[in-house]
Amino acid sequence: MAKALHDVSIAEAGAMLRSGSVTSMALTEHALDRIRSVDPLISSFITVTKESALADAAAADAAFAKGIDKGPMQGIPHALKDIYGTAGIRTTCHSKLLLDNIPKEDSVVAAKFKAQGAVMLGKLATHEFALGGPSFDLPFPPARNPWNPDCIPGGSSSGSGAAVAAGLVRMAMGSDTGGSIRGPAGYCGTIGLKPTYGLVSRRGVFPLSYTLDHCGPLSWTVEDSAIAMEVIAGFDPLDPASADVAVPDFRGKLGKGVQGLRLGLPRGWFVNADGASAETLKAIDDAAQTLAKLGATIEEIELPDYELYNACGRVIMFSEAYAIHEKDFQTRPQDYGLYTYLRMTMGAFVSATDLTQAMRLRRELAQAVNAKLKGCDALITASTLAPAPAFSEADPNSPPNFPIQTMPFDVTGNPAMSIPTGFSASGLPLSMQIVGRAFDEPTVLGIGAAFEAATKLPERRPSFAVAKAA
Amino acid sequence: MADSSTDDPALAAEFDILAKRAGLPILAGRRPALLQNYKDLKRMTALMRQPRTAAAEPAGAYSILSVTRSV
Repeated sequence: MAKALHDVSIAEAGAMLRSGSVTSMALTEHALDRIRSVDPLISSFITVTKESALADAAAADAAFAKGIDKGPMQGIPHALKDIYGTAGIRTTCHSKLLLDNIPKEDSVVAAKFKAQGAVMLGKLATHEFALGGPSFDLPFPPARNPWNPDCIPGGSSSGSGAAVAAGLVRMAMGSDTGGSIRGPAGYCGTIGLKPTYGLVSRRGVFPLSYTLDHCGPLSWTVEDSAIAMEVIAGFDPLDPASADVAVPDFRGKLGKGVQGLRLGLPRGWFVNADGASAETLKAIDDAAQTLAKLGATIEEIELPDYELYNACGRVIMFSEAYAIHEKDFQTRPQDYGLYTYLRMTMGAFVSATDLTQAMRLRRELAQAVNAKLKGCDALITASTLAPAPAFSEADPNSPPNFPIQTMPFDVTGNPAMSIPTGFSASGLPLSMQIVGRAFDEPTVLGIGAAFEAATKLPERRPSFAVAKAA
Repeated sequence: MADSSTDDPALAAEFDILAKRAGLPILAGRRPALLQNYKDLKRMTALMRQPRTAAAEPAGAYSILSVTRSV
């Protein structure tokens, strides 16, 4: 049986566009129809840019008709987290403070997709300023998990994870400061790639924390994240963090397997962690066995205490975030959502000495990970430590800290990808991370593709049965 | 949530001084939750204070070449 159009990957849709068996207009109209019918259940979009999307699709089809091929995203619908600046299109950061913010310029990432003739369907829900959520006291509702809308989709790229899992888009851009790509990917059962710090320009994306922010894709397949990276990676002299390094061949190791690779497993981080579910732990062990059967060598390794990475990252993030928002916190704190207010305010209480200690520790922690990666080709470890919790599990008076172990690689800057490992008995996705050496995204993607091919997990989509029965 | 100001007055006083120094108005009803978060922040900053080698210093901490290729 032929796949439904929304189940066709970017790679497959690209081939269909080039063979003439589908048009960008058909892909776009199908996506807009699906947004209309499904998104009311999951609230993943803040803004749907229907008119400009249809115009983009017509332009892409006209280009194909003239034999113009700008690259693999030409004619492909996608969407952006609503912290990515988009010229002429409202960019709210899901906040009352920026309800009327219409940027004059595109972020670099938005401009790169536009230059390649991609079709932008709209702007996606986030936690407020990529920090405060899931919240019901903001101008837009929180995104919901397509596998069970009573559950959170993770955050802060909540709309991105929900939209990809629901088949509204094949790829959506997120951002990751403490796990905001990999968390939603884990809870929603998508791929989520946080690239190496400095590989993708952050210019034009509203900052949360200068030295921890990363831009990256969430997608339904590993190959589709590789394709997105081909478009968005590259040196930007106007982004102070941008790395002037050769852009790797992101699809270069897809289909090459894992034979002979050495994979480190820091099991001590997660095996006794608070909130870790038995199903998640078993799924990681099963995944390690699968990779071993495919020819990789799995070696348990020791790293510094996970809590050091968490504390280091949070102290830096609170400090930098508060510095960005200081004036608004002093003059209009009531306009922030409660969770944002409670989290970000902590930056006002971090001393200069605290921050210096965090920076010293950061260097030591990065060295520890990179020392292990001298002896291993990559690491595999936990991402989300349990299936997505229900909204009702969050304390309305205090921001939740659901169990997740993504912060270490924002601290160190290494590329890290969340990938599904299976499902809980309740039908919610489980996940793990694959972590690589700096700028070695191809190895991370190659391992992910091998695991994905062995498990065939992308064949299972949310049915929305729970939502429709409600 | 318990109001920490009642069970840890020293911490609450410290919190109030720092908030005033930061020019930060504390919204009505949010002080108890902020105090709880401040307690957690103090736990994290204490955790970070361990013996470090001379190499663990911030110079170049934000250089991609020194952070990610530091060994």
